[in-house]
Amino acid sequence: MTPRRFILFPVLLLFLYLGMYTWNQRTGFLDDLATQLGLEAVGTVLKPLVSLQTALSDFWERYFDLVGVREENERLKADLIAIRSELVQMGEERAELRRLRELLSLPSDASWRPVGARVLAGRMGPNGVLETVTISRGYLTGGAPGTPLATNLGLVGRVLRASAHTASVLLLTDPGSRIAVLSQDTRAPGILTGRGLRHPMEVRFVARNSGVREGELLVTSGLDGAYPKGIPVARVVSVAPSDYSQFLSVLAVPLVDVERLEEVLLLERVGSPPPVGPPLPELVGPPVPRGVR
Amino acid sequence: MKTRNVIWWLLFLPIAIMLQQMAPGLDVLVIGLIILLQERSYKDCIWALPLFILLQEGMGSREFGGAVLWYAAVILFFNLGRWLFEVENFLFVFLLSACLGAAYFGLAYLLAPLQELHVDIQATLDAGVIQALFIPVAWRLAVYSRRWVHAHDETA
Repeated sequence: MTPRRFILFPVLLLFLYLGMYTWNQRTGFLDDLATQLGLEAVGTVLKPLVSLQTALSDFWERYFDLVGVREENERLKADLIAIRSELVQMGEERAELRRLRELLSLPSDASWRPVGARVLAGRMGPNGVLETVTISRGYLTGGAPGTPLATNLGLVGRVLRASAHTASVLLLTDPGSRIAVLSQDTRAPGILTGRGLRHPMEVRFVARNSGVREGELLVTSGLDGAYPKGIPVARVVSVAPSDYSQFLSVLAVPLVDVERLEEVLLLERVGSPPPVGPPLPELVGPPVPRGVR
Repeated sequence: MKTRNVIWWLLFLPIAIMLQQMAPGLDVLVIGLIILLQERSYKDCIWALPLFILLQEGMGSREFGGAVLWYAAVILFFNLGRWLFEVENFLFVFLLSACLGAAYFGLAYLLAPLQELHVDIQATLDAGVIQALFIPVAWRLAVYSRRWVHAHDETA
């Protein structure tokens, strides 16, 4: 190879690469291709392997891991008694909530349907730079891009990319994640931002006079239109005035242990939010003086 | 040999994906590429390289292009090393893996601003070191298992 070709060849390759990269950024064609084929193939390989892995671990737990089962059983029985009494109390509160909702004509948000999914893998490969997990559902089976995910403990994140039967989920701890939240007691709005795994998340734009306290629960506000309202997300661990802005510096930890996810619920949007009922009747009060109306 | 070769690849691919599932950030498929380059199986590269790229890009979260550069770096370093060393030599693989560990970090650092991604320097460095330590061990195991593929040739 002559020196001229020796220089020209890498330059040509570089131009080709940059051309491909910018063309793909504009069209997304190669990303779609890789998602449709690559992610689907990975899901196809992982599903039976993960099932086998789960079956083996279940077998191990059932037949060999009997140490401590008696103590655990006693502890669980005690827990069950406590939970039953709590359930009775909750039942009362639920009935009250239903009555109050009817009274206020406030519909429960039935526009999201939960669909179960299994977590197949965490971050995979040298290209897995975001905090993601791979799940066993794709856009044909309820896991379209943008679909929120939760567990019984709280919010997990949302679907980032999806092939037909497999999807990648962006976890709420990723620095690119943004979730509109409200503090449960003080109803202070903010934007929850991830700061990476094993780092507390940051709640931005919380007003100084909001009264947010340590230990308070953060729930989705639904204002971003991406998540249903009222899903628990995180717990506040520190509140301090910010040194460089007019907002509070609030840190929170997720309620879900995102490193140990096994099953998740996809909250599939099944239509537009239900219409609000007929307008409430005018308030009955003392007659309005003439000339005021 | 052809049947054994097909069986070897059919076993290698799911094992590689499974290992990648267990170790976040690790590239196991790269071992397959190194083996192909060592054996000068350029015909197999025609199907294997696009497949590896599609799999890595599909399971990853970066925009398309990272795996292309990564495998280009593997081919580049391999061919540079081939001028100086015997490719079956463990020292060669050790140096190649060290270079690839550095390339792993370099590519992550280079590509992050293009997508406005946050780079965790420490985590990326750790992943690069793990990748560099993994390659020689996995390569040695892969070379042993490839003897089964080539055994038929030697007896024939």
